[in-house]
Amino acid sequence: MPLQNKPTTTLTGATGFLGSHLMASLLSEGYEIIVLGRSNKEETLKERIFKLLRWFGIEELAIQLELIEIDFLKPSLGLQESEYRELCAKTKQIIHCASDTSFSERKRENVLISNVGSLKGILDLAIDSKTDFFHYISTAYVAGKSVTVCKEYLSSSNDFVNVYEESKAQAENIIAQFCEKNSIPFTIIRPSIVYGDSRTGRSLKFNALYFPIQSVKYIREIYVNDIIKNGGKKSKQFGIFLDDEGYLFLPLRIYLPNKGALNIIPVDYFTNATMKIISKGSSGGIYHLTNNSSARLDIIAVYNEKFMKLKGVEIIYGAPADNLLRNPAEELFDRFMEPYRFYLSDNRVFDRTNTDIVTDNLHPPEFTYEIFKNCMEYAISVNWGQSIF
Amino acid sequence: MQNNINKSDKVNTPYEIARNCRHYAMCKIDFLGSGVCESGLKKHFVSFYPQGRMILYEAISENRVPVTEKCVEIADSCNLCGKCDYQCYFLNEMRPTKVMEALKNHVDTFIKNGGKVKLANDDRLLTEIKKIVGENWASNDEAITITYSHDLSPISEPKIPDCVVMPYTKTEISSLVKLFNKNKITYTIRGNGQNLLGFAVNEGVIIDLNRMKTIEFDEKNWCVKIGPGVAAFDLQKQAQKRGYRINASEPAALVCANIMCSGIMSTFSTTYGINADNFIDAEFVDKDGSLFSLNDPSSPNLYSYKNLEHKNSPGICVSASIKLHPVIDDERGILVPFQALSKAIDFIRDCSIRHIGLALGVVGAEYISTFLSPTKKSASEIKDIFIDKLDIPYLVVVIGDKYAIRSIDEMGYPYFDQRLFSVLYLGLQSLKSAEWMGLIKELSDDEPYSYLRIKSFPDLLETALSPSPVLYSKEIDPDLRPFFEKLFSSQEMTDLVWLSMYRIMSTRLGRKKPFLPVLIYLPIDNILINELNDKFRLIADKYHVDNDFGFITPIDNGKRCIFEYDYFFDYNDPEEIRRIRLAGTEANILVDKYSIKTGTVKGHQYVLYQGFCRKENLLYS
Repeated sequence: MPLQNKPTTTLTGATGFLGSHLMASLLSEGYEIIVLGRSNKEETLKERIFKLLRWFGIEELAIQLELIEIDFLKPSLGLQESEYRELCAKTKQIIHCASDTSFSERKRENVLISNVGSLKGILDLAIDSKTDFFHYISTAYVAGKSVTVCKEYLSSSNDFVNVYEESKAQAENIIAQFCEKNSIPFTIIRPSIVYGDSRTGRSLKFNALYFPIQSVKYIREIYVNDIIKNGGKKSKQFGIFLDDEGYLFLPLRIYLPNKGALNIIPVDYFTNATMKIISKGSSGGIYHLTNNSSARLDIIAVYNEKFMKLKGVEIIYGAPADNLLRNPAEELFDRFMEPYRFYLSDNRVFDRTNTDIVTDNLHPPEFTYEIFKNCMEYAISVNWGQSIF
Repeated sequence: MQNNINKSDKVNTPYEIARNCRHYAMCKIDFLGSGVCESGLKKHFVSFYPQGRMILYEAISENRVPVTEKCVEIADSCNLCGKCDYQCYFLNEMRPTKVMEALKNHVDTFIKNGGKVKLANDDRLLTEIKKIVGENWASNDEAITITYSHDLSPISEPKIPDCVVMPYTKTEISSLVKLFNKNKITYTIRGNGQNLLGFAVNEGVIIDLNRMKTIEFDEKNWCVKIGPGVAAFDLQKQAQKRGYRINASEPAALVCANIMCSGIMSTFSTTYGINADNFIDAEFVDKDGSLFSLNDPSSPNLYSYKNLEHKNSPGICVSASIKLHPVIDDERGILVPFQALSKAIDFIRDCSIRHIGLALGVVGAEYISTFLSPTKKSASEIKDIFIDKLDIPYLVVVIGDKYAIRSIDEMGYPYFDQRLFSVLYLGLQSLKSAEWMGLIKELSDDEPYSYLRIKSFPDLLETALSPSPVLYSKEIDPDLRPFFEKLFSSQEMTDLVWLSMYRIMSTRLGRKKPFLPVLIYLPIDNILINELNDKFRLIADKYHVDNDFGFITPIDNGKRCIFEYDYFFDYNDPEEIRRIRLAGTEANILVDKYSIKTGTVKGHQYVLYQGFCRKENLLYS
């Protein structure tokens, strides 16, 4: 049952990874939610949301949901005047979680339209609805790549790792200025890289942490298959073999520019911390949802070797020599890892002063082998998201 | 008694196989190196080839033709060697030997049961015809005439001629024409019946030119003079042996008939041209039975073109001197993938304007998956993989020398080279179950197909797919597998240059269903092509006709292109035929409208009987 003191919350991005988890938490805590979203080629918005509710096992809470198909780029979000007025009347707080998370420079235009260009519609709604609070889900990586300590301040950087970071930094500034100018209370919530649930391993998205692991798994399968079915003729050429214990020796030299670590948080921590910020955050507050004990790639590699019965992975710091001969697996993995390389050797430290106050020192768990194993087992069980529903 | 064949037999029964014969005449050429039906080579009438026996068996099953003298001869002449199974399975996944066997059994049973074999009566005209061509080369036997009742057209109704004649010389043709004129007999010329407009079937007399197979090379003058019975595949083979290449269309199409009906076009038309670009001279027997050659100043002007339907042939082409082209040692083929048609069009325009590449063609996922796959099922799965997993809805085939390929490297396009193509082709079966394919798409996020730039990608793909002729053939009927395993061990079968020259895969396009191509000439204009592409699709969708993008080949240094859009139909389903006729007509009307509106679009349907025209007259007048 909805609780009377919970403000009706208008949520964007509810079909995404973080947005869906927020939706589930808000519903479980009794919020009434208006989901603003879109159908895609295959499914209506309703089908998409109900699929997610089933995955969370909270279909019975659908009663607290209202779904509205909108277009961020159109005036009044593409709604009829009466519909828009009704939406404004109901909205008490807004959580803007919709985002294009692509890192691809080729998709720059789309990313900027989705993450910056579309802000006008949602900010107009904030004014028109006289919303009590506007919460923006951003990213911890808006400070730029040359900063060593990332403060819980707005960013003025212009040296980003990718267009996603750039767009989120721009969006934060626009939102902050707009909200301050129009006296709309707001928070900016900045999670680092989010993986699945630390307790169950369940997840809806399998990029970032998962992608390099998935790559290694597939490369491993290619060579194991070659060894078992074709006598390993190709594998031998590159010094790849199965040892007596069933471990695949796969020489895989991974070059990172420098020592560093991947700042990852589980999605359960993200939702718990965000729920605290939503209920207790102060206006203008910027909150880093980051991990003080980042996961080093060499540790993840050890986890992965154990998990996949693999040997031969070597993390090397510095640039590879120009004339270095790389085996096909190395070349392919290198290409797979490219978008994430910077994050894997990240040395940036995240200030959590505001977060620690509001979340009562709630911290994400250290990334242990158990968590890794749970997450990867779940990922494999759903074929890395292919058969999740 | 003769109608003892069960017509309700399921698919793959002799009757169903027979009525699904595509009539492409591929069983008349040795495109797999497995040999051609011996009786066909000896007797020449199509009736003695597997295609003819299929048509005959279908007609007998439907009680349309009795057991005749020639029917017995046709049935007896088949030695059940099984060559047609290799050929037909390769193209259409069908086993004609079952039909051949059924035909033989039917005739045997008929005779054993005391059936009376019908004898054909020589009438006065037939006697006159035989005086000209010889006793064996004309027939009015129903078992012969029925086999000339079809061509590829969905528009025309089958028509059974009164008589079929097979002349050997131009003098014989001249005499025949004079005889027919004198007796006011309608006659129709037939090559291998590949006409898509229904002009290869008629009542009256069919003149089948298949005995006129002379090939005389004149290497000093870079040409080869051929008789009208020479098929493109056979000519290409002879040319290749001497180190040359000809511009050839469909492999089973007779070259002279092909020029006459549509003009030769292929991906090599990018450099070799179309229509009059492809020959030096041609000889004709005119309507009065007189001979003329194109090079004769007093001859009719067949180089002109009118954008109107021409129902009258200028005469019978009895020989043509076809241009020979040099073959360069370092020629090779590549496939350049594209996510959007417009990008592929930009690329071929750029290449053709810059004279990069000998042969260029944009093909869609339907083409490429159908060409590469050994079975219909496999083609459908591979098409999905190309579109969904590899994100390759379009590919540009480029044949070029090392300098052309180097230019494409410099242009910055990633591509499948010959090695990758062979790996992909012979590893298709592994591709279907390759879980790692999802990652390939991820790799393309920042730059499409960037994985093709990974130096060792071919090695990895080879390891992952374990390509081999054995793997490729694993879906093929077990008893045919050894043949196909051997066939795909030959380099030719995966050689993009060879495949583009001989085009043996293109007939696979009709494997799922026969198709009606809508062909047009137009500028390489992205907006125009995409507009027409959409409209052709909408027309087909409106009539519930299966349809797909066909191909685009640039011509005349990138000033124009040939664009094909395909409508698929089941010619055994009257309702589908009705719908394809409506769709085809509407598509042609659309082309006419664009022709008037733009002044640059030309519908290919009007080229019929004007194939000898200058391309400039066709494209720009």
